[in-house]
This record gives sequence, C-alpha cells and structure tokens, in this order.
Amino acid sequence: MPSVNFASILTSLRSRTYTTRLPLFTRGVLVAILAFWIAGIQSLWDVRAWGGLAPDQVGITTLYRLNTFPFIHLNIFHALMNALALAPLLERFESEHGTLTSLALFFGPLTTIPAFIYLFVEKFILRSNTSVMGASMWIFLLLGIEAIRTYRVNPYFVISTYNIPTWTSPLALLVVIAALVPSSSFLGHLSGLIVGYICGLGYLKFLAPPEKVLRWIEARLNLLGRLPYYISIDQKTYGRFGVLPSSGSPSRAGALRLRRDPRILKLPPYLSLLCILVGVVWLFLLPLDEYSRRTYISENALLPGQVHTYFGGSDQNVFRAYKHEVNSLVGKSNVEINDKLESIVKGLGLKAGRQNFTYRSAGRVYSGENLYAILQAPRGDATEAIVLVAAWENAKEELNRNGVALVLTLARYFKRWSLWSKDIIFLVTPDSIAGPQAWVDAYHDAHDSARVDSLPLKSGALQGAIAIDYAKEGRFESVHVVYDGVNGQLPNLDLINSVVSIAGGQMGMGVAIQEMWGHNDQYPDRLRTMLRGMLKQGLGLASGPHSSFIPYHVDAVTLQPFGDGWQDEMAMGRVVEGTFRSLNNLLEHLHQSFFFYLLMQRERFVSIGTYLPSAMLVAANFTIMAIALWVKSGQPESEAEPVKKEAGSTDSEEMTRPTVERDLFLPLGVVTLCQFLAVVPLYLFNHAPESMLTPTFTIFAIINTALPHALSHLLMTYYTPSAQQYQLIKSFSLLLLGMFLSSLATLNFSLAFLVGLLASPLTFMRPWPQSPAMRIACTVLLNAVAPTAVLVTAALAWHLDINTVLREAAFAWDVCGMYTPVVVWCVWWPAWLAGSVTVLGRPEVGKKKQKMT
Amino acid sequence: MDGGKVTLGRTAGLYLGAAVLRLALFTLFPGLADLLTGRVEISTPVTSFKRLQEGLFLYDHNVSPYDGGVYHQAPLFLPLFSLLPSLPIFTYLLYIAVDILSAGALLKIADSGEAGSSALFTSPRREKRWSGFVIATVFLFNPFTIATCIGRSTSVFTTCAILHAIAKAVAGAPFGAMVALSFAAYLSMYPLLLLPPLLLLCYDRQPPESAIKPGVQSAATNILVVVGVLAALFQMSYFITGSWEFLPSTYGVQLTLSDLTPNIGLWWYFFIEMFDSFRSFFLAVFWLHLSCYVGGLTIRLRRQPLVVLTLLLGIFSIFKPYPSISDASLFLAMVPLYRHVFPLMRYTFVIAAVIMYTTFLGPAFYHLWIYAGSGNANFFYAITLVWGLGQSLLVCDLTFAVLRDEWEVERPEMVGKDIRQI
Repeated sequence: MPSVNFASILTSLRSRTYTTRLPLFTRGVLVAILAFWIAGIQSLWDVRAWGGLAPDQVGITTLYRLNTFPFIHLNIFHALMNALALAPLLERFESEHGTLTSLALFFGPLTTIPAFIYLFVEKFILRSNTSVMGASMWIFLLLGIEAIRTYRVNPYFVISTYNIPTWTSPLALLVVIAALVPSSSFLGHLSGLIVGYICGLGYLKFLAPPEKVLRWIEARLNLLGRLPYYISIDQKTYGRFGVLPSSGSPSRAGALRLRRDPRILKLPPYLSLLCILVGVVWLFLLPLDEYSRRTYISENALLPGQVHTYFGGSDQNVFRAYKHEVNSLVGKSNVEINDKLESIVKGLGLKAGRQNFTYRSAGRVYSGENLYAILQAPRGDATEAIVLVAAWENAKEELNRNGVALVLTLARYFKRWSLWSKDIIFLVTPDSIAGPQAWVDAYHDAHDSARVDSLPLKSGALQGAIAIDYAKEGRFESVHVVYDGVNGQLPNLDLINSVVSIAGGQMGMGVAIQEMWGHNDQYPDRLRTMLRGMLKQGLGLASGPHSSFIPYHVDAVTLQPFGDGWQDEMAMGRVVEGTFRSLNNLLEHLHQSFFFYLLMQRERFVSIGTYLPSAMLVAANFTIMAIALWVKSGQPESEAEPVKKEAGSTDSEEMTRPTVERDLFLPLGVVTLCQFLAVVPLYLFNHAPESMLTPTFTIFAIINTALPHALSHLLMTYYTPSAQQYQLIKSFSLLLLGMFLSSLATLNFSLAFLVGLLASPLTFMRPWPQSPAMRIACTVLLNAVAPTAVLVTAALAWHLDINTVLREAAFAWDVCGMYTPVVVWCVWWPAWLAGSVTVLGRPEVGKKKQKMT
Repeated sequence: MDGGKVTLGRTAGLYLGAAVLRLALFTLFPGLADLLTGRVEISTPVTSFKRLQEGLFLYDHNVSPYDGGVYHQAPLFLPLFSLLPSLPIFTYLLYIAVDILSAGALLKIADSGEAGSSALFTSPRREKRWSGFVIATVFLFNPFTIATCIGRSTSVFTTCAILHAIAKAVAGAPFGAMVALSFAAYLSMYPLLLLPPLLLLCYDRQPPESAIKPGVQSAATNILVVVGVLAALFQMSYFITGSWEFLPSTYGVQLTLSDLTPNIGLWWYFFIEMFDSFRSFFLAVFWLHLSCYVGGLTIRLRRQPLVVLTLLLGIFSIFKPYPSISDASLFLAMVPLYRHVFPLMRYTFVIAAVIMYTTFLGPAFYHLWIYAGSGNANFFYAITLVWGLGQSLLVCDLTFAVLRDEWEVERPEMVGKDIRQI
C-alpha cells in the first residue's frame, strides 16, 4: 500500500471519535456488561447470585461462574466505572492481538486462572466465602501486562534519589482502590494482577491458541469481510497503531458520511409531508380533553362574581326614560345625536368631549363624530381608566338602541358609587369600527391628524374596555362574547374568563363564543368553535368596537345578548357592572393569563405552547425542503458529470466529491423579482375605488394565470436555466416562505397556519421536463390553490360578493392597519409565482438549446 | 481607454442609482426615516440621530450638549450638523454622500486585489473574484446599509472613516490611513483596536519605489500620527464644548455601558441582570474579550492583514457594547472581498438563513415585547443571541476558509480533501 494511503488513514483514524473505533470484542464485552446490568434490574431472577464467583457454589456443574463473573456488577455505578476503565485497556489488547485471540484468551485462561487463584486462596487458605464479581479483575490483569511492557522500555521513575521500578505502579493502584472503594475485593484484584504480571513476562504464551488454527478459522469463515470492527490476526505486519486490517470503512467520520449518503437526500420530501400531516393532525387533536385545558382565573385580584351587584330596581325606569330619548334620536344626524347625548351626560355631571374623524377607503368616505364622557374616579388619581363603549350602529349596521340607553343608564348609576378607583370613560361612536379606531388612535396620540381630530379630554392609561352591542329588542337568554382583535390579536384570557364567570356563574345566563349558539361541549362543536376562531383570527378583521382597543394592549370584549329567554336589560347591566367591579380591582394591567390561546368552548382552551407546534411544523416543512434543495443543488448531477477518477490515486473514495459551484445570480434575481412584483396587487387592491374592485380583480386573476407561463417562457428564452438553477429558485422561495411564516406564527398563529397549509403544495413542485402530463396536472393544482382562486372560492362558500370582500379588506387595511393583505400578496403570492415558474420550467430544453448553439 | 470610460460611467451610474433610491425612500415615505430612526436595531444610544438632535438643540441654545445624559456622541458632530441648513433634505444628502464615499473606498480596496494576493501571501484561487463594482453594489444595495442610511445613524461616519483608512493603507498612503483611523476612533473609539493590523497593512503595502523603512520606525511614525491627530481632535472638541466633560459622556458610556437601552448586541441584557458588585469586573472581562482577538488574529494571519481587519470588524459587530445593523453591514461589505475562498466555506446557507430569520424574527419579537405586551425581554434577547450566532458562524467560517486556503499552499497534496478540525 502506498504511503499516502497510510497517512490519510492515520489522520482520519485519529480524528474519529473514540467510541466509533472500538473493536469488536471490546464492544461485545461492553454490551455484555450492559446487558447483564439490565438483566439484573428485575427481581424475578437474581443474576448476581447466579453468576457471581462465590467459592461455595463453584462445583463441576457451575463452572460457568468462572466465566460469567466479570460481566456481572453490583450496581450501575460499579458497572459504569469498570466499563470506563476496561474499554481503553481491552481495546489496546484487542487491537494488538486480534479479535479472535482476545476472545479465546478472555473466555479461557485469562479469566479462569485468576478465578482459580482466588478460589484457592479464599476457600482453602482464608477459609471464608466472599462472592466476587465485576470486570475489575480484568482491569488489573491488563494493567499488569501494560506495566511489564512499560518496565521493559522505561524501567524506573526517579523520585528525588530513589529509583522506583515502573512495574509497581498497578500495586499502588491496587492499594489505593482497596483503601478508597468500599466493598472492593483486594484478593480478586491481586490475583488478576499476578496473572497479568506472569502473562506480561511471557510465561503464558503457550496458552494462546495456535496462530495457524486461528488463521484457518478466519479465512474459512471470512470473518474479516463479514464482521464489522473485526481485527484480524495479521496485525503483526503493521504494529499497534499502524493500519489494522479491519472491515469498517476507516476513512470518513460518521456525520460527514451521513451527509454524503444519497439516501438522506431522498428523505426531505417525505419529511416535509410528514411535517404537514403531523401539523394538521395536531390541530385536530387539540379539542380532545387530553390536549385542552379548562379555563381558570389567573389574576387573583379580579375576584369575578364576588361582589353583589345593585343595578336594577328604579334603574329600570331610568333606562326606559333614556331609551325613550334614544328612540327620539333615531334617523337624526350624527351631530344632532351627539348634541342631545352630550347634554344628557353633562347633566349627569360628567366631563364630555367630542371628536371628528374622516377616513377614506376604496373611494368611500367614512366620517362621523365620537362622543365620550369621563367619570372621574372618586378614589383614584386619574392615572388609569376603563372604557364602556356603545356604537350607535353595530357591526351589522343595526341600531344599537338598548346598548346606548344602557350605557347612559350605567353612567348615571356608576356616578352614584364612590368605590371606583379607576376613571370610567363612556364612549358612544357612530359606527362599530372606524369610530372606536379613531378614538383609540387619538387617545394614544398615534393618529394621523389629517384624518382624525385630537381628543380634547383625556384620562389615564386604559386598563380594559367593554363594548355593548344590544340591538336586540325584548328579553334575551344568553350573552355572546366577541373577542377577536385586529390582526388576530386577542385580549387577555382573564377578561373573557371574568365575563364568563360573572354572566354564566353569578347571573345564571348562558355564554356563547364564536356564534356557536348552542354548544354541547362534544368534539365536533369544540372543533367547529376552534376553527371559526382560527378563521376569524386569520382574517384579522375587526369584529366589533372592542377590536380597535386590542392592538394598544387594552384588553377588550364586546357583549351581545342573544336568544329568547327571561333576562332583561337590567341583567345585562349587572353583567357590565360586575365586570367593571372586577376590572376596578386590578392593581396592574392584565398580564397573568394567556394572550395567545384558542378557545373551543367558553371554559376550555389551548395555550400557545400546545398549538404553536402545528403552525411551526407547517412552516418548517418549507425550510426543510429549502435546505435539502440547497444541498442537492451543490452536488453534481450523477448522469451528467460522472465523478472522474484521478489517475494514480488508488483511493478515489477518499476524494470528496467537490460541491458544484452554484450559480446564484439568476435564482436570486427571479425570487427578488417575484417579491417585488407583489407590490402591484397590494397597491392595486388597496387603492382602487370601490366600483373598480371587481373588474380589477377579474383582470388580475386572468393575468395571474398567464403570468407564470410568460415568466417561464422569458426565462427559458433568454437564460436557459439549468436544473440546478430551478432547484435554487425553489429553495430560495421556500426559504423565504418558511421564514415569513414562522415569524408570522408568533404574531398571528392562525394566519400563518392557513397560509402555510394553502401553500403546502409548493413544497412538492418541481420541473417535469420529461412528462407534460405531470406538468399540466401540477399547473392545474397550483392554479386551484392560487391566492386569487382561494379568494373566489372562499367568497362563494360564504355567499359573499367579491366586491364586498375586497372593500372590507381595503377598509381594514386603511383604517385598522390589518396586515393580512401584505401576507397574502407579499408572502404567499410570490412563493406561489416562483413555484409555478418552477413547475413550468424545462431545464432539459435549455440544455439542448445550449448544445445546439 | 474606452473600457475605462465605460467603467467610470458604470460606477457613476451605480452611485446615482444608490443616491436616487435613498432619496426616494427619504422623500416618498416621509414616515420611514423617523420610524427607522426609532428602531433599536439601527439606533443605539451612541449613534442615534434622535439623540443627536437633542444634543444639537442644547448646543444651539448654549447649554452643554451632555447635560441630561441623552447625547453620547462626539462633539464634532455638533458644529457639522448645526452648520447644515435646517431643511431635512440637506441631512439626507449628507448621509447619502457619506454612503457613497464609503462605497468609493470599498471599490478601491476591492480593485487593489489585496484580498487575493498580499505582500506575503498569494492565494491560488485569487482569479475568482468580484470586481470592485460588484462589491460596491452589494454594499450600497444591502438592506442593512440602506436602513442605516435612512435611519440616519451616525455610525455611517465611522464606517466611512474605517473604509477610508483601509483604502488609504492599501493604496500605500500610511499617513492618510492613520488620519482616517484616528477619525474613526474619535467618533466611536472601538476602531482604535484596528490599529495593529492596519499598521501591518500599511507596512506591507509601502510603494516599492520609495525606500523601504524598517518596521519599527514606520510603526512608530504611524502611531505618532494617530496620537497627534487624536490629540488635535480632542483639543478641538474641548474648544467646542468648553470642558472635558465629553470624554466621560462619550467614551465613558461605551466603557461602562451606563445606558442599557436594548440593542442587538449581547451586553445590555447581561448587564441588566448583573448585581452591581460584579459590574466592574464583568465590564473588564467583556472589554478584554473584545480586545483579545486583535493580538491573536494579527499574529496568526500575519500574511493577510486585510483578513484580520475583516474578521475584527465581524467580531466587533458581534461583541461591541452598542452594536447595530450598521456594523453588520460594514462586515458584510468586507466579506465579498473574499469571493475566492467562498467555495471553501462550509455553512454559507446556514449563515444566510440564520441572518435572514433573525432579521425578521427580531422586529417581530421586539413588537411582541414592547407593543403587544404579550412577550417579554427574553423573546428579543433570544433573537439577538441567534443573530450573534449567525454572525459568529460567518466569522468562524471565513477564518476557516482563509486558513484552509493558506494551508493548501503549504500542503498542495491535500487540495480538495476532507479535513476535520480537532
């Protein structure tokens, strides 16, 4: 063998971790020690009594004990220590003498002779009966051999003037161990050491099996070829640290070998699929009892339902009077309404303020005037406030007569109490979305003063807000709690729990969420509730007057009475009173409970730790595929460039397959182009006037279908991308998608999950140069899950006009700052476009063209 | 001749494009500049434009700018910015000009070919390199650079000074290099640590026609220049502010980390958690850690001083007390000079993915912490750790690639073979 080979094996031998190069017999012994320890855990069969070297028990039928005792240990600690000490010594012995010789010696003389010595001394001289076990006898035996060897090379070590022979060092160890380690057998160790010395001096050579026989067995059974880590008899040619002919591939470290393994590259598509499937299944498991939890009040200061509520009695008459006033205002202009309401609240002794706002979106103008009044806390210092909101019109544009009248009644009622420690702000807005948004923006000085006026009057930091949406006439049965905020942000779970506990527990009325009017708390209903919640969260639309508060970290919910029952307006008022009393107790902002949760019944939820993995898994599938494609693109195409074997180099395996230089420019350019094109639909749909929305969408949908074809044609005509470049296009686009989605999952789980799921076919798209049928099938599939197609399907499914959907989206974008359109057009759509271009790509065609030219 | 003209035209076009892009971002999105100025990723206590304005206001009203403990930047910024006309467009133009000057210096460094073949070492792979034009493009259109420029962080001046110092050194003008380095050190202090490799670079790149000076003499001269220029700058600062108060308020803040505003570095969280009694000890440890790389790298990579400068810039952008993405952009501007060793790097994809992920997750987690209130400081700090990890991977990988390149010259038989670090 040439010396180059020798050197390279030497370095790689060193570089391999120790455990991976342990030879076969050593491994076997270590495994046996472990196995006997495991066998000793159970209590049915006492392994230690069975196999230990107990002088009494050794008879002609129990001679097996002479061989089994080194494998059996007292406890895990004993086993571990002995294994640690034995491994390097035995490995040395084996690599020097060969696996077969070691096997013969250690199952024969080197175990039995010390055992006999021990038995003899223990039984006939000492006349006692101490059972011994453990591999430490072998350790001393091997140490003895090593000591003699060292003695031959290096006879003395000198301490001051004394020469100490080196062979005595195991004796010192023997004494130290006997002194320090409890229940160690001095005699057993000593007998091992004596045999070691004798063996080291060479007097036991006759015991070794004849080499010829061993050679014959080895050759006959082809042990070298069959057994991994096997060490041949033939070591003498090369010496201890030389090249030992062993069958394990000596050259490459485990991780590197794994990385180069072609099978690894086949794995990622399946892994990606698994990620998606597990992600989806995970989500469907959540409603089960095992994965969801019952809600609980985390903030002890809230004490919901612990106070007696006094709203009622004569307040009923007050309510009727205010309702009469409200009824008289129906059909009047916003300013007239506010004039009247302002005179009422001023008459109650509250400070009142008014605020104008004008929003423009999709060619429409949304304007109005908010009216609000501040009840200054008798016991507070105006640093904190709670808000009670009633929109003149609710989200469905019904007149909120009872709600406004109830807010006025409650204002009068709250004014009478001296227990408030936080200011209470009563807010009446002309509509449910724009008005509250303008007011909250201005309250936090985050408004655009061109569109929204500043507030003339302010109080302290907002701690919570309750909106009343009470358009229903007559008595009601239950309360519907609406809690979705803009962009899927949610109020602290404690607020919802308080309302549920007050309305459901104290007042004895039903509570519903997510428009589940009847809920039987079984799996289908829980799942439906959860999915509705996720869909609303994913869309990120404002669902009521409370939605605008949540982005400012003000926990808020809207309460809607529904159903036919016997609860009257006073009961609704008491729910609000109870909730306000709870909020009034708060010493600090609601922070104890969860901000990220999915509710599946009014008293059952899953928290972020439980559900986040499903979205992360879906996002991870893109990243996995991206990494796999990157690695794949760095490897030479097997059929195109066979690895050249260099002449004169015998070890072509040693040569790494060089990673192919990746041509990054074109893929980066394509992906960047796709990302930049995304600005077009985003701009179009947010700036087109309402009348133009449907035509714009239709034209865009048509162009969208043709665009991948056009782009792909351009690419193939001008750049003739190779297969590698298509892989890289896909890799970069998936990497970006995975990155955006996993970032998004921390902000809006549902949106990330939905987009991830709809984009999941992109993971499996690749060019089909040979098969037009597959290409067409993939294109059809991709067009079915295109953002435009999904939008149309969703609109049809919910019986919505596409114009309404787009107008609402533009309105939410302009007024509330909803970012769902950004996610759809700047995250999902570019990935879809890049995926479509990849599917339509025909790298082979490009290659042929290049050859022609 | 023609080719030269085309190149010149191309470069001018690049500068124009970069300037127009920045100007468009400034003017078309008027809210963007203020938004970016407020981001902790861009503006640190020692580079923030908002704080500069505060200092400027105090200075214009004849109050010491360091009163109030908000302004921590060099005093010479104050006359510079108060001389600018008050219209914001002039500030924009100044920042754009500084970016383009930096790009110009980078272009010179790249075109000198110093990265591929220095005085003592010539890489066998040097043929595969990017032209200065490409490298300047990468720098000017790097989103981090653009964001820093729009955020008007004063670290762009330091970046410009450092790049000019290197460019001058490569051009064989030690005096200019030392003056530029002194300016960088005056503005941000930490560039002073670049002095040893820069001295070597100056020494290596002495013009052959002049008499080669002995090393000690040239080093001593250069150090004297730095000391002299720094002394002059300090004296000027003294005249401007009327006291030596600026020293503790600028360099003292960096040394003692008295402002614990969050940033993308690794110091702030650590020192928030720290008990006061350990503070001075750990300050010393952190600074010692930051500066200990200088000696080791300079000696180990003696043959390629420009590599040392690049690696040190990377290390500073991870471990300095108030890092921002501006430092990352400077490091990322220097990395493409080593295009020839890119094939030897092993984790390019991982590095790119980590840096991109953190770029998006950082602001998201900061939002969760500060605005949504649903996360806490650990969210953001975790991401800054990952950001640091990504950059340190890049530093390590570049070091590995450069050393491997050197090693393959020594051991030609090992070219292309697997090796493992033990």
